[in-house]
Amino acid sequence: MQHVLVAAIVGTAAVFLALTVLIVAAKAGREIRDARRRSRRRALEPLVLRFVHGDDPSILAALGGGLDHRDRVVVEAILLDHVQRVRGIERDRLHRALDELGFVDRYLAELTSHRWWTRARGAENLGLAGAKRATVQLVNALDDDVPEVRLRAAKSLGLVGGRAAVRPLLQALAEPNRWSTIRIADILADMGHEVVRELMDAFPGLNRHGRLAALDILGRVHALESIPWLLDRMGDPEPDVRARAAHALGSIGVIAAAGRLRAALGDPAWPVRAMAAKALGRIHDAAAIPRLCVALCDAEWWVRANAAEALRRTGPAGLEALEAMLTDPDLFARHQACLMLDTCGILDRRIAQLGTTGASREAALRLIGGFVRAGQTAKLIELAGSHTDPAVRRALVGLLHPASPQHEGAA
Amino acid sequence: MSAGATKTILVAEDDPVTRRFVVSLLEERGYQVLVAEDGEHAVSLAVSAAPDLLVSDLVMPYRDGYEVLRAIRNDPRVAHLPVLILSMRDREDDIVRGFESGADEYVVKPFNAREFVARVRKLLESRRA
Repeated sequence: MQHVLVAAIVGTAAVFLALTVLIVAAKAGREIRDARRRSRRRALEPLVLRFVHGDDPSILAALGGGLDHRDRVVVEAILLDHVQRVRGIERDRLHRALDELGFVDRYLAELTSHRWWTRARGAENLGLAGAKRATVQLVNALDDDVPEVRLRAAKSLGLVGGRAAVRPLLQALAEPNRWSTIRIADILADMGHEVVRELMDAFPGLNRHGRLAALDILGRVHALESIPWLLDRMGDPEPDVRARAAHALGSIGVIAAAGRLRAALGDPAWPVRAMAAKALGRIHDAAAIPRLCVALCDAEWWVRANAAEALRRTGPAGLEALEAMLTDPDLFARHQACLMLDTCGILDRRIAQLGTTGASREAALRLIGGFVRAGQTAKLIELAGSHTDPAVRRALVGLLHPASPQHEGAA
Repeated sequence: MSAGATKTILVAEDDPVTRRFVVSLLEERGYQVLVAEDGEHAVSLAVSAAPDLLVSDLVMPYRDGYEVLRAIRNDPRVAHLPVLILSMRDREDDIVRGFESGADEYVVKPFNAREFVARVRKLLESRRA
């Protein structure tokens, strides 16, 4: 029995010792390999960069005519590191180097691996390598069973670009059950102007989800060429399409759209009126001020809020209009005007002017009187007790309690 | 060798890959390049080595690019030094803040190398003029 116990202890100790030796050896091996790679990187990176900055037709020639198989991983890391940091001709030369050294072929082969992470890596690296010749394979990878592979393939299609890459991404927009619409929209927006024509052409065939995303993308890309088309969408029977088209026109910020956006403030659907108000603020359309004042009385809070913000963004004339709205018979309009005048600092400025004399004090009394009549007095009550200027405190108390005999002279 | 052979450029960049790329690019054009890996080192090198141009990242350890700019603009010994910001920050606010802090040029990463070199050359020429 004792022998068995000793044997078990010795056996366990031997296993632990063997494991320790194995771990130490593996770690030492990794350290040696990493040290060698760092050393080779120091030697090879200047050669790679000289090729990138120069006009040699071949990277193999720049590397001395050949590449040791152990150096391939080092050169690949150098190329992939730098290709993410530059644009233009240098990036084109890095793309060419990745293809010439056979890395693109390897990434293509990785796309057929049975391991999903290898397929994902291959898909990602094809995008970094700018491999236009891999477009078909990347499009096929959009049907991969693993979402991570699909997403990396989609990102890579965005990086590779071109008409052939845009179409399948547009199709992905129409499949919200398989894709995150937001992420696909981000990829398409990052592709810039090359997606504009395709988006407009594909629009009728997209489902509602895809159509709304397409309109957002056009706004994000600031697609000037899409303005007439977007103006047409303002007449779409679908209210959400009209609303997103208005939003896109505001994002592009072209004054030529102002007339159509002003008219949209009278749209029967409140999301359209809200987006039209927001868009008019973005394009600083002073001619829209009277209609925005009307929108300040809208039955929907979102329209009123956007109209108030739009008036603020329109500049001094819009702020004047907001002040004038403090006497409007509509209580909701007055509240919205108060909120915006407070948010943008006008109320604080006017309160400080209560301590002055002349026209500025008169303007301050008018504005703060409007706040009192609208019942927006919380801040005024607080400052009536805490403002550093006694003249301001007295004036505020007089405005808040006009019947109070001891403060009659304050206002 | 280009006409820039005698010009010295200080590159302040904490990302080693970008730093090596920029250094290689500028040396290829014949410039002499000094390197700082953080903002603190960049300010001290700018004063001690008196370079002709500073290329600085915005996000760096110890002192960020804005602080480096402020320190340089407030030091009469180097206040005149042209500064080019090379940053990943591409928001309008960041770019405006860069210029307001005293930058002469602003290039967003990932960057076009030839455009970057053209801006460097222009800054050095404007300094000579």
